[in-house]
Amino acid sequence: MSALFRIAWRNLLRGWRRSAVVLASIVVGLTACFGILAWTVGLGHNGIDLAVRTHLAHLAIHARGYHADSSTDRRIPGDGAAVLSAVEREGLGAAAPRLVGDGLVQTARRNLSAVIVGVDAARESRVSSVPDSLVEGAYLDAAAHRWASRLPPIVVGEEMARRLGAEVGDKLVLRVPGDAGAGAFRVRGIYRSGSSAFDRSFVYVTLADAQTLFALGNAVTEIALLLSDAADAPQVQKRLRGLLAAEPPLEVLRWDERQPRLAQMIELMDQFSWVFYAVVFAAMAFGIANALLMSVYERIREFGLLRSMGLRGSRILLLVLVESFLLTGLGTGIGLGLAVPLVAWLGEVGIGMGWFSQALGEYGFSDRIYPELRPGDFPEPIGMAAATALLAGLWPALRAARLRPAEALRHV
Amino acid sequence: MSEAGAIVLEAREVSKVYVSGTVRTRALDGVSLRVSSGERVALSGPSGSGKTTLLNLLGTLDRASSGRILLAGQDVGRLGEAELADLRLARLGFVFQAYNLVPVLTALENVELVLLLQGVRPAERRRRAELALDDLGLGELLHTRPGEMSGGQQQRVAVARAIVSEPEIVLADEPTANLDSKTAASLLDLMQQLNEERGVTFLFSTHDPRVMERALRVIRLLDGRIESDERRAP
Repeated sequence: MSALFRIAWRNLLRGWRRSAVVLASIVVGLTACFGILAWTVGLGHNGIDLAVRTHLAHLAIHARGYHADSSTDRRIPGDGAAVLSAVEREGLGAAAPRLVGDGLVQTARRNLSAVIVGVDAARESRVSSVPDSLVEGAYLDAAAHRWASRLPPIVVGEEMARRLGAEVGDKLVLRVPGDAGAGAFRVRGIYRSGSSAFDRSFVYVTLADAQTLFALGNAVTEIALLLSDAADAPQVQKRLRGLLAAEPPLEVLRWDERQPRLAQMIELMDQFSWVFYAVVFAAMAFGIANALLMSVYERIREFGLLRSMGLRGSRILLLVLVESFLLTGLGTGIGLGLAVPLVAWLGEVGIGMGWFSQALGEYGFSDRIYPELRPGDFPEPIGMAAATALLAGLWPALRAARLRPAEALRHV
Repeated sequence: MSEAGAIVLEAREVSKVYVSGTVRTRALDGVSLRVSSGERVALSGPSGSGKTTLLNLLGTLDRASSGRILLAGQDVGRLGEAELADLRLARLGFVFQAYNLVPVLTALENVELVLLLQGVRPAERRRRAELALDDLGLGELLHTRPGEMSGGQQQRVAVARAIVSEPEIVLADEPTANLDSKTAASLLDLMQQLNEERGVTFLFSTHDPRVMERALRVIRLLDGRIESDERRAP
């Protein structure tokens, strides 16, 4: 086998120009594959992270039926304190109560529909990135705000502020359905989450102000949970369901159960990257097969000699396959050597999406994607590269292995 | 290597017909011969007489259309391609007109290759290959690749490769055709010496009078048949 490796390796060096061209195509193809994969993974994580960090959280506890009909009529019994303390006692993650309801935001000139979220500012900052995403003003510090204004504070998204023509310090009116009525608020801060779709819909007020606005006493509709590791969500969900079984009917849902379309879209992007792989590897296979076929045709006499010396056809087959694997293996190694640091660097600095940022923002993605590769992302493309080497090398290898020694030695 | 005088190679009524489309060409027509161990035989005849075809059949590089070929008593017609490859590896050595060395391997590696295929251990392989090359005056060229050697040097490496595994018989197809007269004479001296001193059996296919002069037996072919079979005293 070592002699086969030696011969195969030197054959690749003998036709170094051809080998270099094939190698370059493998390296470029594989680097592009890993680049696209890393971008897709980064985009997926970006979408998930953004949704989780702004409003979905990893897990959310609601009154049963809330997911199907998100109405403020479906409330967590009491003020949710019992549930909250049970969650915190078990150390399952950071938790924050919310009162979420639909309403209208009004200025003198415009009305916009909005999702009004009442939050406990201190707890919310542990489960949401919105408090840290302010571009103007400050978050919902009610005490500090009262010192500055008689009206309660509200934090709105940049896109909503733009559409309303509102700035920090301006007055906004929130109107909610039913008899509850309306309330005036003063813009305390403007946030930019990264998703324009989110920023034009979600407004934040204090939990107490929301409870007053919706006339719901001390009710909450949601307890959001952020875990230190998203992968723990299914286990924590199971544990919570057990823990809360004694409580009145509650539902515990993961982010992907609440937003299955986001999860499906990310899965779809994963599948699309496979289509890309298939195209790249098919092109690579033709390149390798072409180079090896040329190489086999040039060496027919040499194969005849090896056969005459007693090298079996199966060993000739192996020799050409070894050449294919060496070429592909080398290309894969160099491709990985380029792709991994490149992705690591891009993962640090991110890729600005330029013209696409608005469209991505509409789908809940931020305008800067941080590509990343997970350990589990490597085996499949490497396996595909190996399969490509085998398939691309098989045809030339069979051609060489089936040569009759006398005919091969006569070949000019 | 077989005992001196034992029959190494035998052809019985061997014919070979090449078919190309509707054209059938009879290259060999009922050839029978025996080669014994230690012989130095030349197959001669004009171009197209069937010399190379017969050598290819005797060397199991091609299959006969009819008749039988026995190598050390074994009917090669009954063997599959893999078994034929094993038989060639164990019992035959080849020297070709165009040297046919593996261009990417050095002289030493070319000679070692046969032993490697036979499963000889690395140290023993190297020792025997170096010895064979040294014996043939190529001790200085162990690590030289074929492209950097003269034709005569390459053909000597080919001879070293053919004899290093101590085969039953060495089949040499026009071994001097590409060599100048001085180099050809030197190569023939070497082959004669190997035959006389080590008992290596040689079967040449040639139309070179210099080779025929050195042979102890000359079999003349004409139109695919044996025209004469003459033995000479050493």
